[in-house]
Amino acid sequence: MLLFFAGLWVIGAKPSELVPNEGGRETASEFLKAAIRPALDFEDPEMRESEVDFIHKLGRALWLTLRYAVAAMSLALLIGIIWGVLGSRAWWSKSSLFLQTIRIGSRLMATAVRSVHELMWALLFLSAVGTSPLAAVLAMALPYGGTLAKVFSELLDESESSAAGVIRMSGGSGLAAFSAGVVTRALPDLATYALYRLECAIRSSAVLGFVGVPTLGYEIKTAYEDGHYREIWTYLYILLAVVIFFEWWGARMRSLLTKGVSSIKPEVKQPNVDHLWKSRGTSLFLRSSFLIVLIGGTMSWLLEDRWGSGVSWEQKLQNLDRFTDEVVPYPVREADGDWSEFGPWFGEKMAKGGSEAVWQTFHLGTASILLAGALALLAVNLSARTLASSMPRGVWDRGMAWRSVIGAMLRVAAMLGRAMPEFILAFLLLRVFGPTVWALILALVVHNCGILLRLGAEVIDNITSRASSVILAQGGSRTSAYVGALVPAGFNRMVLFLFYRWESCIREATVLGMLGVASLGFLISDAKVSLFYDEMVLWVALGAALVFLGDLTSDFVRYKLRGKNNR
Amino acid sequence: MLELQSATLAYNSIVAVDSINLEIKPGEHVCLIGPSGCGKTSLLGLMNGRLESSSGKVVLDGKELKSLSGRALKTARSKIAWIPQDLGLVPNLRVNQNIACGRASEKGFLGLMRSLLLMGSREKEEVADLLKRVGIKEKIFHRVDHLSGGQQQRVAIARALYQRPEMILADEPVSSVDPERAKSLVELLIGLAREEGQTLVMSLHDIDLAKRYFDRVIGLREGQVVMDGAPDQIDLEQLYDLS
Repeated sequence: MLLFFAGLWVIGAKPSELVPNEGGRETASEFLKAAIRPALDFEDPEMRESEVDFIHKLGRALWLTLRYAVAAMSLALLIGIIWGVLGSRAWWSKSSLFLQTIRIGSRLMATAVRSVHELMWALLFLSAVGTSPLAAVLAMALPYGGTLAKVFSELLDESESSAAGVIRMSGGSGLAAFSAGVVTRALPDLATYALYRLECAIRSSAVLGFVGVPTLGYEIKTAYEDGHYREIWTYLYILLAVVIFFEWWGARMRSLLTKGVSSIKPEVKQPNVDHLWKSRGTSLFLRSSFLIVLIGGTMSWLLEDRWGSGVSWEQKLQNLDRFTDEVVPYPVREADGDWSEFGPWFGEKMAKGGSEAVWQTFHLGTASILLAGALALLAVNLSARTLASSMPRGVWDRGMAWRSVIGAMLRVAAMLGRAMPEFILAFLLLRVFGPTVWALILALVVHNCGILLRLGAEVIDNITSRASSVILAQGGSRTSAYVGALVPAGFNRMVLFLFYRWESCIREATVLGMLGVASLGFLISDAKVSLFYDEMVLWVALGAALVFLGDLTSDFVRYKLRGKNNR
Repeated sequence: MLELQSATLAYNSIVAVDSINLEIKPGEHVCLIGPSGCGKTSLLGLMNGRLESSSGKVVLDGKELKSLSGRALKTARSKIAWIPQDLGLVPNLRVNQNIACGRASEKGFLGLMRSLLLMGSREKEEVADLLKRVGIKEKIFHRVDHLSGGQQQRVAIARALYQRPEMILADEPVSSVDPERAKSLVELLIGLAREEGQTLVMSLHDIDLAKRYFDRVIGLREGQVVMDGAPDQIDLEQLYDLS
């Protein structure tokens, strides 16, 4: 609580700013009215006369959003697999100091790469070689590859079992034991996590529109600048629909991969191998999904006819040369590469807003996740299926139908919240609230509360202890059962998820300032506009350092909470 | 033949196996018996080279396991099948895929991957015949986590047999099943090992099973052999004291 209010004070979030001014209220009212009438054609009559039609424009933005996301994920998957295996303890069966150094080094490098937000990578690539589809894809592929590597290595380590030992002890090679005994066991988790990241990549691909990549975010930004609110809603609805579809797809895949498909009884009494093979459990959905992923991944690369920026190689190299020259701090350049000049320059930059921006970014992420966590903790009581049903925790209870309705509504709201990218939400909220940090806080809270609500409800629904049933059977209320039995039983896992999202919130907070509110993102954006690339890289590096520290802290806390040695 | 010559295994200050001398002859069916923590699992670990002895020797067919490396070690290991206490199966793979892992040494990495992804019809038939012998042929293409505990134990036995080993080491394979099922599984494993002329070393808790089915019973306590002989030659009271 203290940390939350201290955070609000540091970032200058005044309660009075939570009420939009008159202009903001008007904008909000117009914007909300447009929600029920999304555009099916251009709002601008002149545009209707043009050769391009609105649906075509919408389709193209959606197509590019999906294609860049899929291409980035296919590359990230390759990076994640190689790096994840190198960072996994299960791969290095021997534990020499040298091999341990490679393993820990791989993990730290993966964490470092993912510490730089994809929007930052995009800014760096676009500044270095200009706007191009390849720059957009690489900007996503690098941090996503790092994230996949980190999570893959953890999943592989958790899947290490005696199965690999049996293969090794029967004379199988280390590669065979790792592949057949560890990777196969981890495969359902690896595949479903990769699908979850694909869902995130679609959101990121849309957000990249805000730095000039022609995806859905770009169309939302330009539609807003033109005051075409109905068009914005069309883009938002399409984005939400696609993200929700991918969430459903991932959930269905997860269920099929973890539970498997039961075999059917062979039709004959004395079945031979062929009969048994034909009656094995198979899923057309799973097979088609793998095929679609394979074709989609390949086509996303083949269908782009111009991956470059259309600029000649000489020009690109010149741009890159200029960029690499200009990222060297100005005083160092002036002193012919004397890096002793770096210290005073760095000190000056930190004193003139740098340290304050880092501090504000940290508190923005922390205050937001604390608020999101508190709201989710309250709402899980109403949204968890095992509490919202007419038989809460298996105990009959009459006349609480309203809880089922509220529970369903909360679950839909949470789904919409997590489907909406924080950056786009913050962009829209800033137009309503004006330039206040509350817009950023609310954007982070809505998105993260949606995620925590789902994770928290899953924790509560998966608790098998009968303590809550006893409370209900003795006449206690559902809230008493939740507070008295379920929260204590699931507390560790809930805190674990809170730290997992805290790290993501800090990461997101580093870029939200790019929308014009004081924090590291604002300094980055300002430096980019002023073409001060040395400053821009400094702020990006500081943001990455903050996320890196947040990541390590979160890892440490989660490791302690899990109470087992999984590193 | 497998020999342990003053084999000792110590973890820091704890001695799990204390200077044991043993000789297991080809075709022998040996039962290791003793209370929890007496060193049964560690002794089995020394026998297949999974654990390295702190001192003393483990010799398989005249070659000391510790001195082997690379191909020679893999060849030596391929002669010994291991059924760990938790069975060591991959739950989300099918039964036939788990069994294929038994021949990882012979198939090599690519061969094993081929069997996992696209098992040929001849291999399927071979696996089906083996499963028929352990009584679960109809489960050949089921996921392992869809099987009961007893059926999973049969899959682990089938995988061990598929390896075509000279010796099978089974670490309390029936610890989690009811006495009736335990009896039928031990009977099955002994019967199959006898048919194939394979050596079998199994650790057990149940003295009645040990007396009834095995040629030789080795009693362990605190990492040391306290009795060794045919069931009808050993002191029954001492044996019951160990359980």
